[in-house]
Amino acid sequence: MDDVIDRALNGAELAGAGYADVRVVEARDQMIEVKNRRVSALQEGASSGIGVRVLVDGAWGFAAAAELSGAAAESAARLACRVARAAARHRREPVVLAPLPAVTARYATPVTVDPFDVPLADKIALLQEATAALEREPAVKVARGGMQFWEERKRFASTAGARIEQKVVHSGAGIAAWAVGPDDVQVRSYPNSFGGHYEAAGYELITRLDLRGHAAETAATAAALLAAPPCPAGETTVILDGSQMSLQIHESCGHPTELDRALGHEANFAGTSFLAPDQLGALRYGSACVSIVADATAPRGLGTFGFDDEGVPAQKVDLVRAGRFVGFLTSRETAGRLGQTSNGTMRAESWSCIPLIRMTNINLEPGTWTLDDLLADTDDGILMATNRSWSIDDKRYNFQFGTEVGWEIRHGRRGRLLKNCTYTGITPDFWNRCDAVCDISDWEIWGTPNCGKGQPMQVMRTAQGASSARFRGVQVGVGYGR
Amino acid sequence: MLEEALAMSAADHTEVLLEATRGSLTRFANNQIHQSVTAENHVLTLRATVGRRSGMASTNRLDSSALRQVADRALALARLSPEDPELPEPAPAAEPPALEAFVAATAASDPEGRAAAVGPVLEAAAASGFEAAGALSASSAAIAIANTRGLFAYQPETSARFTCTVYGGDSSGWVDRHRRDLPALDTERLGRIAVDKAERSRDPSPFEPGPTTVVLEPSAVAELVSFLAVLGLGAQSEQEGRSFLAGRIGERITGERVTLVDDAYDPRGFGRPFDFEGTPRRRVTTIERGIARAVVHDRRTAARAGVESTGHAGHPPATEGPLPASLVLEPGDLSLEDLIASTARGVLVTRFWYNRVVDPRRTLITGMTRDGTFLIEDGRIVRGVRNLRFNESVLGVLERAEAWGREAEPTVFDDAGLCVVAPALKVRDFCFTGVSPS
Repeated sequence: MDDVIDRALNGAELAGAGYADVRVVEARDQMIEVKNRRVSALQEGASSGIGVRVLVDGAWGFAAAAELSGAAAESAARLACRVARAAARHRREPVVLAPLPAVTARYATPVTVDPFDVPLADKIALLQEATAALEREPAVKVARGGMQFWEERKRFASTAGARIEQKVVHSGAGIAAWAVGPDDVQVRSYPNSFGGHYEAAGYELITRLDLRGHAAETAATAAALLAAPPCPAGETTVILDGSQMSLQIHESCGHPTELDRALGHEANFAGTSFLAPDQLGALRYGSACVSIVADATAPRGLGTFGFDDEGVPAQKVDLVRAGRFVGFLTSRETAGRLGQTSNGTMRAESWSCIPLIRMTNINLEPGTWTLDDLLADTDDGILMATNRSWSIDDKRYNFQFGTEVGWEIRHGRRGRLLKNCTYTGITPDFWNRCDAVCDISDWEIWGTPNCGKGQPMQVMRTAQGASSARFRGVQVGVGYGR
Repeated sequence: MLEEALAMSAADHTEVLLEATRGSLTRFANNQIHQSVTAENHVLTLRATVGRRSGMASTNRLDSSALRQVADRALALARLSPEDPELPEPAPAAEPPALEAFVAATAASDPEGRAAAVGPVLEAAAASGFEAAGALSASSAAIAIANTRGLFAYQPETSARFTCTVYGGDSSGWVDRHRRDLPALDTERLGRIAVDKAERSRDPSPFEPGPTTVVLEPSAVAELVSFLAVLGLGAQSEQEGRSFLAGRIGERITGERVTLVDDAYDPRGFGRPFDFEGTPRRRVTTIERGIARAVVHDRRTAARAGVESTGHAGHPPATEGPLPASLVLEPGDLSLEDLIASTARGVLVTRFWYNRVVDPRRTLITGMTRDGTFLIEDGRIVRGVRNLRFNESVLGVLERAEAWGREAEPTVFDDAGLCVVAPALKVRDFCFTGVSPS
């Protein structure tokens, strides 16, 4: 494989590249879905190829090929240079990369049990038992359980001398029950929606989740939601559980702090950002109890790795410190615009895609409250849990979220179950309404397996660490007005 | 190659799907080309069936050794899989209707040509004091399906897209067109549409949310209609009782003016004449003059319902079951200008963004306007307004549509494998629920 890499880099330099990097990726995945005890998906995939990124005359070019041969690598390098040369004719400013020491290194996700070594029969049996337990609830008409596993072996090399090998493993699983009534459908998921919970880990995660043990309560809640009163409309105190906080962070902090968005690179598709470089250190993003970091070194996160796809080492950096906006997610190209070095967030979905700035693990630092104490301290409000719906504008200002479940909070106690819970807000106003964040006992690093960005669109797996948090004066019950 | 893969399988039945793709995209932002890419791939997916058990494996290596590995792995997965009493047999051999979907000029697109096509757009935006961002893309693909019952289906196809946002300060405009034929995309003319919208939406004023008459351009209509595909026009969700159509076939579910057909053969769309089981696609009228008529089927749901597959099997593993792929909303006879001219006070919406399901049974969707939202007064566009959040039922919107455009545009939803051909609509009492500061 070193020969393939060398021929790609040499080919790029011979074709005029001032800089080139190469990723050779061999990936495999496994997906199992059981629906109403039937195996509805059982699939394994393997994909390998080479992606060559070059700078010619100050413009980027990228080409990718599925064939892992020296000839194909050279051909991809030449094509990437041709693509870059065409782009350079319409380049206002040349790309300048922030400096980066060349390293030779290896990294592997710490895995206790390789998920690809676990017998398939065991995985299917677990999902069948869990979905059978969901189906024992008569109102549940659709009982789903699923697992997914990904392994990516990646070699990165650049004309600047970098040589990095990484093996990253991600695992995930979950169950969900759909209760169907005469004029209503309600869903309840465990441990999260979007197919469950995902981590940079092995099969030990699946064992820890105990899907069987949570099935009965999951199904019972789905059924109870059919008869539950709807979320009232109005302004109230809201406590969001950690999984919903995860998506709140992803959409309203993670995306707007991507520097390529703020610089307009994504203006046509993913959008721009309400955050601008001249607001660094000045904008009051949230209340004093809001501190958010991008931490690619955090254990178990889907955004955890050794090096990003530019060869920049994984880092932990501040985005929001005690409510103040202090940092962007950056690349070598964009960091240089701020006079900084990259904080290492460039990732590509596969060998066939160019790397983009992507969230790593965007973590809300834990506060000081236990969830029980926070509930006891809340006289009137709603506890909302597990995302069901999410939408936010292209500058990441105006958002609306819906959750699978809610509970009234009355006089410090959790009360009636509520269905169809929604809330809306404007990002900095909302985060300034945060007056309490729960402590590490309630904190989890939640995986998001489906973050879309870029053209052609790439899907990335990211994570957000969060515990439950409280927000005052939030507009709830929106959307059902008609 | 497909025959070689079939021959390597020791399963009772084997199906092979080969997808070969070549995609190129010239991406621009800040009035310069900033990311241009080209990639080729080919993925072979093999499903092995043993009795009532099946397993699936895929690879992007196509040498004999890799084909052998994928055939053996799919067979191993099948043997490990539990029995599936409803597992359908592979589709029988059939002759799908011919559908011309390949344009040589699109397949031959090169980076120099795309850069030249984009250049005038960048210059026009800069000349007006704006920034342009977007992409010009061209892709070609060959899809082939074969199985051990003698089926063989093959389709070469191309697609091209120009999408462009022009923005600056407090305003923006957008244009987006999908065609099979890259040269049919007049990027310079299209770019001027985006520049014009950005010009006209300068200094946007706040707009009080609430029920509002709206004129929705075709892309905005397509965004809403696309949700009907996933929320209930496929047989699986209908059979599970989750669909908004469950138990309502034959009932009036929306306005009498509404006819929605899944038609792979509509020349404006991006249909394919067979599905991912190789079954020829049929034209299916899902809603006819407001009455729910039918859902689309694959072989599994069809057998369950006692009907024949309509040719709508999804891409493996198709966990959502059969889904529409080529929806066409029947247009009317008015121009977009007619719709605007007939509006005493309302809002013109260029596009919706980040639309998500709030309540599936009610077809309730939320999302934002973006890149060209205008106030209409006395039949004229008078100024831009700040972007608005909506919460609306798709069936309710179609029920309240008062006037229908005649020009229907295709919008392709790549991630859903769906194209929606839709006209502009004028809709009363459209429910805006919030406003963005931008």
